[in-house]
Amino acid sequence: MSSEVTAAGKPFIHHHSAHCESGATSALFRDKGVEISESMIFGIGSGIYFGHLPFIKWVGLPITTFRSRPGTLFAKAAKRIGGKFFTKRYHSAKKGMAELRRVLSEGHIVGLTTNIYWLTYFPNRFRFQFNGHNIVVLREIENGFRVSDPVLEYPVDCLTEDMERARFARGPLEPRGFMYYAENVPLNPDLRLACIAAMKDTCKMMLRTPFPFVGIRGMRYLAKKTISSPDKLGFKEACRRLANIVRMQEEVGTGGAGFRFMYAAFLQEAADLFASAELSQLSKEMTAIGDIWREFAVVSARIIKQRGQPEETFEKAGGLMLICAGREEQLFRDLDKIARTLKA
Amino acid sequence: MKVNEVPQDITYYEGVKRACFALNDEGKYVVVASIGWDDEAVVNGLAVDDLAATLEDTRKAVLAGVKSPLCYHMERRQMNPEILAKTAGIATFRVKRHFRPEIFAKLKLSVLDRYAQALAITKQELMTVPQK
Repeated sequence: MSSEVTAAGKPFIHHHSAHCESGATSALFRDKGVEISESMIFGIGSGIYFGHLPFIKWVGLPITTFRSRPGTLFAKAAKRIGGKFFTKRYHSAKKGMAELRRVLSEGHIVGLTTNIYWLTYFPNRFRFQFNGHNIVVLREIENGFRVSDPVLEYPVDCLTEDMERARFARGPLEPRGFMYYAENVPLNPDLRLACIAAMKDTCKMMLRTPFPFVGIRGMRYLAKKTISSPDKLGFKEACRRLANIVRMQEEVGTGGAGFRFMYAAFLQEAADLFASAELSQLSKEMTAIGDIWREFAVVSARIIKQRGQPEETFEKAGGLMLICAGREEQLFRDLDKIARTLKA
Repeated sequence: MKVNEVPQDITYYEGVKRACFALNDEGKYVVVASIGWDDEAVVNGLAVDDLAATLEDTRKAVLAGVKSPLCYHMERRQMNPEILAKTAGIATFRVKRHFRPEIFAKLKLSVLDRYAQALAITKQELMTVPQK
């Protein structure tokens, strides 16, 4: 946590967040006077998800995701909490940058979708071609902008040149200068109503999906695929695939265990909001599931480190994932039932 | 995960800390800054080594005259031909064709300019690869 000043001269408290999109969205709400935590936004935006997309390759590896599609979290949270948001994409980089300056000079703080590779204030290890990173711009400074990047501990400076490249990078999921800010938000939003809608939506996404690659079905599919992978692909390639799953789970700003801990934090807050012991119980269960995901990461790391030693096996890693799938299925079924009984 | 279980292994974050959600003593979730996790470093190391190895292979191929420097610089920017093609505004099949050194050598200055602009490097850099 550290304080900053926005273009309007208002103080801005920077919170260190685990996930960029929920962090940026909660920063926008907080700037307008609605005190709301990152995990609450994450829950209300139905951020938790699971998907394994074997037909979409990223650096030659199939994509595994533990979060909803970039952009939907903000859209859902904004819709459910209410308030008026300005969102726009641009064809011309020049116009996009001019608009950003104009909005900043009006005293708003602005959320932007960017390509993380071109944000040079990140250490090299973090930089890869991914077009879904969200940042909050506070004000213009000489040669650049003061930026509150949710996943960093403190606000940083970003060069104008980097910013333009990052906003108008090409490739999959092009941001096209996507810019969003709150015009006005209700000061006392009905969070209970928003929570109920979000929980139902999440359960629907996880449980009732026609596609075999997403939700709980996707988890089981990936677990089975992981178990058979060393025979089918060879040990080295199987390791690469496994490493990629763990990277998506731990590496890309998830707050640990592929967002499971963050969702547990949301359930905990929701339990306080509704004074519901059942939700509090579910939060504990989610934490336990998160711990199994962490164990899966540990086992995977050992498989990769030992390179062929029989101690930890792909069966064990896949088995842990199946356990997660089973327990998450039960959890979301329970949550679905509870969400229907809650009163707004 | 409890607060005292948040991994604090010194790894490779280059001084950057990352936020983790963890339970404090009262059983409430709080955000804790983590300086790294060894198991994650192992996993990430594999991916980073992979990229570095491919890049090194490409560099040698360029020096041996099998590929053009454009291919090296594209990989250095972690792009693929599709992304580079869109960024530079040149058709993908042309980009792939320009990976052949004999064709790359005959490119017009205006085309080189677009590649240099897209990759954020100078034209001199674009024409060469590091020797070491």
